[in-house]
Amino acid sequence: MKYSHENIVKVSFLLLLVLLVFTSSVGSAFCTATSDEASLKLSEAESALRRAFVAVLDAERAGADVSGLMLELNLAGGNLTWAQNAYRSEDFSGVAGAADQCSSLADKIVSGTSLLKGSALAEAQDSEWRMLAFSGIGGLAFALVLFLVWVMFRRSYSRKLLGSKPEVGSDA
Amino acid sequence: MLKLGDFRAIFLVFGLAGVLLFASPSFGLFLHLPQGEKFSELWLLGPEHMAKNYPYNVTAHADYFVYLGVGNHMGSPMYYGVYLKFRNQLEPLPNDTAGAPSPLVPLYEYHAFVEDGKSWEVPLTFSFSNVSYGMNQSLVGSLSINSVAFNVNKGTSWDDENRGYFYELFVELWIYGVESDAFQFHDRFVGIRLNVTGNV
Repeated sequence: MKYSHENIVKVSFLLLLVLLVFTSSVGSAFCTATSDEASLKLSEAESALRRAFVAVLDAERAGADVSGLMLELNLAGGNLTWAQNAYRSEDFSGVAGAADQCSSLADKIVSGTSLLKGSALAEAQDSEWRMLAFSGIGGLAFALVLFLVWVMFRRSYSRKLLGSKPEVGSDA
Repeated sequence: MLKLGDFRAIFLVFGLAGVLLFASPSFGLFLHLPQGEKFSELWLLGPEHMAKNYPYNVTAHADYFVYLGVGNHMGSPMYYGVYLKFRNQLEPLPNDTAGAPSPLVPLYEYHAFVEDGKSWEVPLTFSFSNVSYGMNQSLVGSLSINSVAFNVNKGTSWDDENRGYFYELFVELWIYGVESDAFQFHDRFVGIRLNVTGNV
């Protein structure tokens, strides 16, 4: 079988064309996959961060000191900021990683808040009871002491009134 | 001399005042007094951290620097979305009266969490590249914010009155609503007018 020079050139050209088409389609598919993956990770991170904020807000409403958690939220928010802005500028490398980091920080915050919220609620309840006890017992004791003072005062007042001699005025 | 009835009244008043005094710490559990006005602050400060010397005449390939800040007086911790947008003279700003944001797509955004009574502030750098001029028009190809480059491809005409090619970099404040589970425009925006010129 003879291969002419022309045929070899034709076959080589065809192979090169197939290779080019294959490379571009794989490259495009890879880029789309990267972009899709980044977009998915970003929306996961956004949801995770919102959940974390709601959990921190709940803990704060229960009376917990959330200063530390707010710092952690800002750290997670920083990762999301970086990831979103990189995505917008079409630089997809590192977006998924930063979004993942945001999600894991957010999850850590959520698990931290449940403990904090529990202890804050217990502390708040204790404090409420203490306050109610102070008001109830204190108010009652004060009223009782005042009543006793009143009884003693009334007795001494009556005694003083009965013991006093009537003054008789004279027109002389 | 005071009569016994007068003393009784004095004792009653004194007793009532004392009982109220003891009960006062518990009032907070049942009574919810109205809070002050709730609001948020949004600011841009110049490079010296003061409200002056803002970038105005800007050129391509030079870095400009401002401070961006948010203050929370909403009565509880807040989650803010801070969106940076870039417009030419024809594009709309947010609508103050309708409380509507600018329809422009944000270029850059921050996620800021601020406790009540506290503030959040970051340095913001920006620069322009691929700026071209011709036929009384200028075209900004690319805007970098905090070293992230965005293709903007925005043009503006020569402003004869103010003598420049004017654009505006502005910031909108959005707030996360827990009930709606979405960000809403918080009716706050601030911006700096920029004359993108090659003749500085």
